[in-house]
Amino acid sequence: MSMDQALQTYIEESHGLLEEMERILLRLESEPQDDETVNAMFRAAHTIKGSAGLFGLDAIVAFTHVVENVLEAVRDGTLAVSGELVELLLQCRDHIGLLITVVAESAAALDAEQSATGEALAARLRAFMGGAPMGDAGMPAVQESPLAASGGGPLEGDYWHLSIAFGHDVLRNGMDPISFIRYLSTIGDIVSLNVDDSALPELDAMDPEACYLTYSLDFKSEADKQTIEDVFEFVRDDCTLRIFPPPSHLATFVDRLEHASGNTDMLGQLLMEAGVLTEHELESALRAQDSMKAAGGDAQPPIGEVLVKEGMVQKEVVDVALEKQRQIRDHKAQEARFVRVSAEKLDELINLVGELVIAGAGASLLARRSGDTALHEANSAVSNLVEEIRDGALKLRMVEIGETFNRFQRVVRDVSKEIGKDIGLEIGGAETELDKTVVEKIGDPLMHLVRNAMDHGIEPAAVRMAAGKPARGSVRLNAYHDSGSIVIEVADDGGGLKKDRILRKAIERGIVGAGQNLSDGEIFNLVFEAGFSTAEQVSNLSGRGVGMDVVKRNIQALRGTVDIDSTEGQGTTVRIRLPLTLAIIDGFLVGVGKSSFVVPLDMVLECVELSEADRRLAATRNYVNLRGEVLPFVRLRDEFEIKAPPGKRENIVVVQYGGQKAGFVVDELLGEFQTVIKPLGSVFRHLKSISGSTILGTGEVALILDVPALLQLGVARDGQRLAHET
Amino acid sequence: MAKTIMVVDDSASLRQVVGIALKGAGFEVLEACDGKDALSKITGQKIHLIISDVNMPNMDGISFVKEVKKMANYKFTPVIMLTTESQEAKKQEGQAAGAKAWVVKPFQPAQMLAAVSKLIMP
Repeated sequence: MSMDQALQTYIEESHGLLEEMERILLRLESEPQDDETVNAMFRAAHTIKGSAGLFGLDAIVAFTHVVENVLEAVRDGTLAVSGELVELLLQCRDHIGLLITVVAESAAALDAEQSATGEALAARLRAFMGGAPMGDAGMPAVQESPLAASGGGPLEGDYWHLSIAFGHDVLRNGMDPISFIRYLSTIGDIVSLNVDDSALPELDAMDPEACYLTYSLDFKSEADKQTIEDVFEFVRDDCTLRIFPPPSHLATFVDRLEHASGNTDMLGQLLMEAGVLTEHELESALRAQDSMKAAGGDAQPPIGEVLVKEGMVQKEVVDVALEKQRQIRDHKAQEARFVRVSAEKLDELINLVGELVIAGAGASLLARRSGDTALHEANSAVSNLVEEIRDGALKLRMVEIGETFNRFQRVVRDVSKEIGKDIGLEIGGAETELDKTVVEKIGDPLMHLVRNAMDHGIEPAAVRMAAGKPARGSVRLNAYHDSGSIVIEVADDGGGLKKDRILRKAIERGIVGAGQNLSDGEIFNLVFEAGFSTAEQVSNLSGRGVGMDVVKRNIQALRGTVDIDSTEGQGTTVRIRLPLTLAIIDGFLVGVGKSSFVVPLDMVLECVELSEADRRLAATRNYVNLRGEVLPFVRLRDEFEIKAPPGKRENIVVVQYGGQKAGFVVDELLGEFQTVIKPLGSVFRHLKSISGSTILGTGEVALILDVPALLQLGVARDGQRLAHET
Repeated sequence: MAKTIMVVDDSASLRQVVGIALKGAGFEVLEACDGKDALSKITGQKIHLIISDVNMPNMDGISFVKEVKKMANYKFTPVIMLTTESQEAKKQEGQAAGAKAWVVKPFQPAQMLAAVSKLIMP
């Protein structure tokens, strides 16, 4: 008898089985068959598959496996027989026949068309099974014993220690303890073996068919725990087996645990993944845990404790696993706390909320006009909710600036190396939140400012020492909220700006006239002027001239402002002031003539009536006495050249911006208004004093005042007038 | 004197291949095509191991093992059941009947030899 002959038998046998299968299939549809007939058909497929495995004919195993599954379902009654199914099974039968002819008889491979047919048939079969996965069609993988990670083999004396107490019935079950121990020596060397016969009773009490012995042995092997346990597979339920890994394995286990995939946060699973624990050990430990719980009342001992107590895993390993488990859980908890949403969806939501706000304003207006109190009340409830939704929606877009700041740690480190200065970065207000769009767009200007501060702001170490400053320079990034804006500061403790040099340069370039009086702030801000490029090493700002105007433009595009504070010898602070959000603001609506304007509410301090006396005085000067303080003001009527005559009463809206207080003279105060900002068309881009527009509930357009620009304009005009008068 | 293993399976080719492997390892092999056939062939001679399929015509493997375990001569004879992954229930049933070892189909001859050598030596 040879394998060739056996294969011949297989081919003949298979063709016979296939014929029987066909015969049953053809009768199946018309006359219901008894269970045994259907089972015979299943058995045919099963036999063809089983024997194909023996010959290593994997293609036949794979395809027949799918057929077998379907036939099993038919046999078990979970799949009803239909004409379509019979038709399909007949085709499958033919395909198996083809497989046997091609693969088994001529030892060839299927051509592309034939394998495509097979795949199509298998797919249709799977569809009959409801697409459920049907197990692995391939051969069960032969377990290979992974080598110990050390690569050098076990150390001297570095052995597995096994203790096996066979059950009393093991002999009665036809199992011979010694044959397992002999088999063990095929995967390693038994270094020493001790037989513990202390459980052996007196001769007259001894059952000759029972096993009383416990074996303990030192075992030298590079197999893993599971492989060793598998040796005792057939007696596993019938013996008490303890496998202690060699001391050198502890490090391997710890290493594997630390690099665990994180697929599971269950301690037992973790230990199994690392090869510390076998499935069987885990099951019995879980059983032990349950029985401990039953015995000890309600307190269930942790599985880690049970494992150590049962001697399955060393305490050190359990501790490492517990730590890893904690890490994985923390990570999972963190993942669970966040939902990732595409920015597009958020934008869409914010847009809709914007429309909702406008529509809500319209409804409020109508409700107020109708004079129906109930409707008005219902509407204000809706308005309040809309306001909350608006805030909630906007908050969704808010992110902490810390992440952006942290990126500069690397930049500062790299740049300081590059330019050979020792400079540290301090970060403050990292938790300050601002709109994601703003965060994205602020990165570049910040980068520019930080590089400049390092390159030109911070002096060389020698100069710093001479000035009595620490050799290590410092750049500080700070963020905080200030009346509805977010302020981001880039500060350095360098040499500061040299006013006279900047002024001289500006006069040279014709940016300012020779006779002009400028405040410190104005002088510093000259560095943001386009064309203020300093080729000559005028100050520590040299080189900043290029690009500083770009920085300013970028920030203005975000409806923000930038200004500089500097003390010569002590450092420079660049302060960027940005709106919290770009989409919706709380506004304060005012009326001048028939026009409406919106002042960002965060900037409004108070509203006061312009008294008769003040009105008379204000006709000639642009300030009033506000509780003893000088309050300069801007008349919006004049500013925007509104022709309508002034109303009977006028009011002043007092605003504060960047430490400056000023007033706007308006006719009517119309109250708070949720303002959805609509950008102005590009035609109006050059307009200062207007930052955008919005649509009122009535459908009218209201302009949003650019408070900083208006203040600047007013101040500049006053200055000019003063200069003119003197 | 070589030890004898009885192989019970309805597939002749399976019996042949397993037979080739076992004979190669130094065992005598006795073949039967189902439970009934096997019972008729064991007539008191020493059999060291039985390898039996579960699903067979005439008499299935589990009934066969139950019968064998009733016979005084074969009470302690180890039995390897040939099961499939999907037959966990059958495996349990087989173990209850007295077949404590198993090999999952489809298998390769080397896998069968490994299981056999855990139980007996040639």
